[in-house]
Amino acid sequence: MSGLRLDRRAVAGGCLAAALGAFAIWEGSGYAIGTVRRMGPGWFPVALGGLLMAMGLALALWGLRRTPTDEEPAERPDWRALAAVAAGLAGFAALVERAGLVPAVFALVALASLAAGPPRPLRILALSAVISALAFLIFRLGLGLPLPAFAGWR
Amino acid sequence: MALFDNLALGLATALSPSALMFCFAGVTLGTLIGVLPGIGAMAAIAMLLPLTYHVPPTEALIMLAGIYYGAQYGGSTASILLRLPGTAQAAVVTLDGYPMTQAGRAGVALFITTLASFAGSMIGVLLLAGFAPVLAGIAGSFRAPEYFALMVLGLVAAAMLGQGTPLRGMIMVVAGLALGTVGTDLQSGTFRFVFGEQRLTDGLGLVAVAMGLFGVSEVIANAARPPHERPAYRVDWRAMIPTREDWRRALPAMGRGSVVGAWFGTLPGTGSSIAAFVSYAVEKRVSRRPERFGKGAIEGVTAPEAANNAAAQTAFIPTLTLGVPGDAVLALMLGALILHGIIPGPGLIEAQPSLFWGLVVSFVIGNLMLVVLNLPLIGLWVSILRIPYRLLYPAVLVFVCIGVYSVRNAVFDVWLVLVFGLVGYGMRLLRFEPAPLILGFILGPLMEQYLRRSMAISRGDPMVFLERPMSAAFLAVAGGLIGWIAVSAWRGRRG
Repeated sequence: MSGLRLDRRAVAGGCLAAALGAFAIWEGSGYAIGTVRRMGPGWFPVALGGLLMAMGLALALWGLRRTPTDEEPAERPDWRALAAVAAGLAGFAALVERAGLVPAVFALVALASLAAGPPRPLRILALSAVISALAFLIFRLGLGLPLPAFAGWR
Repeated sequence: MALFDNLALGLATALSPSALMFCFAGVTLGTLIGVLPGIGAMAAIAMLLPLTYHVPPTEALIMLAGIYYGAQYGGSTASILLRLPGTAQAAVVTLDGYPMTQAGRAGVALFITTLASFAGSMIGVLLLAGFAPVLAGIAGSFRAPEYFALMVLGLVAAAMLGQGTPLRGMIMVVAGLALGTVGTDLQSGTFRFVFGEQRLTDGLGLVAVAMGLFGVSEVIANAARPPHERPAYRVDWRAMIPTREDWRRALPAMGRGSVVGAWFGTLPGTGSSIAAFVSYAVEKRVSRRPERFGKGAIEGVTAPEAANNAAAQTAFIPTLTLGVPGDAVLALMLGALILHGIIPGPGLIEAQPSLFWGLVVSFVIGNLMLVVLNLPLIGLWVSILRIPYRLLYPAVLVFVCIGVYSVRNAVFDVWLVLVFGLVGYGMRLLRFEPAPLILGFILGPLMEQYLRRSMAISRGDPMVFLERPMSAAFLAVAGGLIGWIAVSAWRGRRG
């Protein structure tokens, strides 16, 4: 329990929204804004950016003045799951065209499996192998996805 | 009679072998993901969007719709047996469904929710068939200002009445609209928010955004979830039969739930979860013994189930006749139609009669299939509930990656899924709901065009929205909604 009485998630979320709005205004005003009668490509993004900034600031101010109640259970960030799933997707993206479908799926499953808890190498290897084989059967043989199972091998 | 011609056309479309197959695939998959906690209908439909690129639009829509209403059936199973709602709509069913299980009446609860789902759906389908053509006729006179105002109303309703706080909902809607501007401006050819990235000139892909926000962020949030207890339920036919007293309570509740659900489904922007919550509140209010609620009252499972299924069907009315989706799932289906070059609007029923009537008839067929899937085969779904999530989610991710890659054979889209997965998880931690964002994202480009056209018609006078009666009415309802929410929030804080 910190001494500060504020709703941190509302403040953070509001500030992020306001920043996004500011960015939309800044970038959008680089396009032709035009007039109300003949709107240019910049008009809509700038208007949205203004709305987003105003509402983001309102949310942040509201968050500064309130204390979260016990009825709102805070969801703790799960950094391990985040890192594992992100690594899995990145692995798939990096491998799918260079190495082929099977290595990419294997890497995805093996890395993403680490999200569930302490690694159990044998279980993970088995699961990765099974899902890679299934992916090959379903997507390559069954649906004819135009991706080699292994790069350079048909 | 035109109705018979239409139904004959619908039957011919929906009974073709391929339509039946896609309908069956849709409702089966819908039941599956409805039963499984941690994978919602939204994620499942996002995952299957890529497949619809390779299938004709009617079949694609029949399947996606099957997933949507199939999930409404399946969602109650885990709610009743484990107090784990399989979908957001089924959260209400836990309140009285789980106490029924504890009292040894799980069979009755499963039976009556399936029946209520079917009854609600059929009423919804009837309304869809009856009112959609009428509404399309009225909407035939809509021009750009009316459409713009209607979209404002839909987005405001989605933000105000969705889960989470209204201000956060509005922020999500506007953020979604802003994301929708990424890409090439159609009128001037200007690249917006592209930053020299060639692959962004077509805009952010709907599939990648939806899969990231709904699929990947859900997986991250649920991956480390401790395994849930295993359902101890054994299928026993005799235990499923409701008593005379059950029937007496459940049948009127089914009727009331269907009416509430059908009404909420028709409103643009309000989804079936609101319908379920409202109908539970209605039941509690009309009951002479409200203290039984929360302790296994059969009305408490029957009415919300009828309501969310009725809403799931009538939600197609605004989606198909006005092009304004009932909720985020329908927005995705709208997106799928647009990908096929079909612009939903008042002209759709005339221009694509086999699509509309085929869809209507397929709803009836699909609901019949669901009754079979959910009553005799209930044991199958109960055993699927025993599969641990740690085996499921890697397979989900594989499906996401290959699916999004296959849309245009672009690794770039897989990276986009990663980015939006992280964004979606961050939003979740900050308590922002992704559903209003995706609505804004899909409607954004249309809304901007309608705004620009309105302003061109009126020579830059914004009063055009108030001078035209229908658009003024839509904006008044939207304004009233904002006012009502603001006042009740202010009162709540003081009181």
